[in-house]
Amino acid sequence: MKEVHPFLIYLQKFIPISEKDFLAEIMPIITVRDFDKKQLLIKAGEVEDNFNFILKGLVRKYYQKGNVQINTQISTEGQMILSQESFHSRLPSEYFIETIEPTRVVTMRYDALEALYSSSHRMERLGRLIVTYSMVIKDRWQIQLVKLTPRERFLNFVTRNPELLQRVPQKYLATYLNIKPETFSRFKHLLKEHSRKKE
Amino acid sequence: MDKYDNIIPDVALLSKISGYFQQFLPLSIPEMAELARYCEIRRFPKRTILIEEGETDDFLNLVVQGIVMKYIRMPRGEMILQLATEGHIISAEISFLSRQPSQVIIETLEPTTLISLSYDKMQEALENFSRGEELGRRILENMYVKKDEKKYAWLAIGVRERFIHYMEHHPHMLQRVPQKYLASYLNIKPETFSRLKHLTRKRPGREKEVI
Repeated sequence: MKEVHPFLIYLQKFIPISEKDFLAEIMPIITVRDFDKKQLLIKAGEVEDNFNFILKGLVRKYYQKGNVQINTQISTEGQMILSQESFHSRLPSEYFIETIEPTRVVTMRYDALEALYSSSHRMERLGRLIVTYSMVIKDRWQIQLVKLTPRERFLNFVTRNPELLQRVPQKYLATYLNIKPETFSRFKHLLKEHSRKKE
Repeated sequence: MDKYDNIIPDVALLSKISGYFQQFLPLSIPEMAELARYCEIRRFPKRTILIEEGETDDFLNLVVQGIVMKYIRMPRGEMILQLATEGHIISAEISFLSRQPSQVIIETLEPTTLISLSYDKMQEALENFSRGEELGRRILENMYVKKDEKKYAWLAIGVRERFIHYMEHHPHMLQRVPQKYLASYLNIKPETFSRLKHLTRKRPGREKEVI
């Protein structure tokens, strides 16, 4: 229980849920999975069956455009990652999900999760709130991609996720933020100068 | 419009709502009638802004008649994100769902009739309608999938294919929507869009219009 406790905290963002309820209703349908770095959780063409919550590590979601990988999500401890489009539609995923660091996730299978949702009004509510949350996040991100300049996106991201600049390879971050690799390096440079001045 | 004139009155409209909801969840007639009580009809003239940037959107809308567009105001003009016609859902959904000021603008292009669910009524329905939570979740999941499908499909095909594909599937839009909005929606430069328009014209020797 101690190990999966962060997942309970996460679910409590959506509905009040006691440790007892968690043990009775959620615990039976979760498994903990470990992955080495650079391992695939899902390949394009497969149907997503797993709802994953990251306990430890770093994971990215991307699609292949010609011979370039475009990252659409980079997630770490306390966040969920799955190919939602495929999970909800039951159609093959267009995306790959791959670990960047050795990663431990909590996983719930599609069927078990559907059964959980339909078990009570409260759980159905949890399901609706989780989907609402992921849609708002995704939509907000897409609007940022068109509304903000590359420089604003870069600064926004590094201010909010300073540690990810160290953890995530630059080429992944560049496609994620939709910034050309050269421009990305230039921004990074600016950042260094900026912090040096502060010192 | 009279504020008290907007309770769903007629069977034709009821059947429109039911047609929409039935895609997600099989519902009985009494369930449909119950759901309809949470909705209202709203009518707007063309070129009416329903939600301005910075306002919070209180409605989720199903288009019964007309066209509604969603866009972002950019330094170089509008960037069109959605063109909703009959049978489509439109809302500033981040704002609606998160209760935050909208970054997008919602505006009618034609005189438009909507069936709308207000945020408060939605909360009531989620509390009182027994399958409200499930219905809500299924609608959201579908919206999620739709959004992504569009994005993905567009990234994968070229400009010309995108144009042809869209015009084949939405043959009336060229008449109904100003060209600059269509071009922006399809992410095609206006000059290129004009050039591609010849592809929609009648070709000699064919009975059917090629669009």
